[in-house]
Amino acid sequence: MVAEKQTHDINLHDVNLFLRDEFHEAFRVLRREAPVHWNPGSARANGFWSLAKYEDILFVSRNPETFISSKGIGGPGERNPRPEDVARAAARPPGEGDSSIITMDPPRHVKMRRLVNKGFTPRAVNAMEPQIRAQTREVLDAVGDRASGDFVLEVSSQLPLAVICGLMGLPREAWPLMFELTNAALGAGDPEYQTAQVGTAGSTEAARATARAGNLRMAQYFREVLEQRRAEPREDLISILLEAELDGEQLTEREILEFCNLLVIAGNETTRNAISGGLVALDEHPDERERLQADMSLIDSAVEEILRWTSPLHHMTREATADVEIRGQQISAGEKVMMWYPSANRDEDVFDDPYRFDITRSPNDHIAFGIGEHFCLGAGFARKEIRVMFEELFDRYPKIRLAGGPDRLRSSFINGIKHLPVDYR
Amino acid sequence: MPRKVTVDALACEGHGRCQNNAPEVFQLDADDISRVQLDEIPDALVAKVERAIRTCPRQAITWVEG
Repeated sequence: MVAEKQTHDINLHDVNLFLRDEFHEAFRVLRREAPVHWNPGSARANGFWSLAKYEDILFVSRNPETFISSKGIGGPGERNPRPEDVARAAARPPGEGDSSIITMDPPRHVKMRRLVNKGFTPRAVNAMEPQIRAQTREVLDAVGDRASGDFVLEVSSQLPLAVICGLMGLPREAWPLMFELTNAALGAGDPEYQTAQVGTAGSTEAARATARAGNLRMAQYFREVLEQRRAEPREDLISILLEAELDGEQLTEREILEFCNLLVIAGNETTRNAISGGLVALDEHPDERERLQADMSLIDSAVEEILRWTSPLHHMTREATADVEIRGQQISAGEKVMMWYPSANRDEDVFDDPYRFDITRSPNDHIAFGIGEHFCLGAGFARKEIRVMFEELFDRYPKIRLAGGPDRLRSSFINGIKHLPVDYR
Repeated sequence: MPRKVTVDALACEGHGRCQNNAPEVFQLDADDISRVQLDEIPDALVAKVERAIRTCPRQAITWVEG
């Protein structure tokens, strides 16, 4: 007998749900009424399982052989994928996955992480702090005497770009292009970032074409950088990847290009949104903000609460390789499972008073960086960048205020803020 | 009976969450690998160790059975 899949009226295919903060209310209802539920497919996209509880997301994250990443991590997948994409997926060797570390499965995934991990440990990040602080001051210097502006364009996007481009050895001149290509890759569903003249604004066709054009341009850019580094190796991450060996073999050009693509995208979009979202949260909670500005030694726990509160990544998707039961629901091999981090990070069973923004919350074991096999490699840099940014920002502009609401990214993947009007003084 | 805890040095990536959550028990060494500082975990620290196990990003920490 096959049990009926639990469903719910709340439809997580609806990207408009994520344009306002009300998606948190949707997840509150789902945690109570349907913590593991089947979201039926739409005309365009496949159906998927949706996990709203912290413990269930831990379980899936910690079983990477049963819940794999190589069949896509950014959503349930299109109902009618292009034949070439299907063929490419079918050609992948089992247990290895795609060429990008984020869509790779064990055992290759861990080996790939080890090639670069030493550059991301707390020790490595702490050693970079003076440089990150200098980069932060440069960003704020550029704001100068301006009375008001767009915090995203002028501040929160600039520091992550400076740091990741610095790690990769890319020049200052590359920042605008990296910013543009990150937006094309992760904001492809938002009409503002759609560059391709295909389909109507906001359509799946326009999103797909925009993302593809952005990724091609990114690969083209990095092919040239690889040429330069081969001729003239440096100390940067790209040179490390070019020299690295995995199982006695060098990485393929495609693997290195995918790695560069991921470093750029993951290295700047998420931290940007944590900084922007952090300012919004502090502005909306003046008592907490006052407490922090009166005692900046609270910054570390404030950063953790900002991460919990903003959860810059809405979800990651896995595909089940076996039949598994979670909370009485039967998940079948081949079905997609989406892990909703904002929901886990407001789970009443884990966090006391989860809808309270509390900069001294303890314990605060949020999973904004995921957990397990694919735990965010850049977590240490993100924490450091957010911390240094708020220290320097409040030192320079102690009275900074929102001058309007955040302009949100149209995405169910990234909790993005495109524009944030502020008065600096 | 006092319990023992261990860190899988191959799984550890040095994120340092255990050192943050239970500094009495875990410290990163010069190679950024978490090392257990106590042979036996006193009852007073069991809850902290449980939390370190639960929050380790890489599942590198386990109780020693027996």
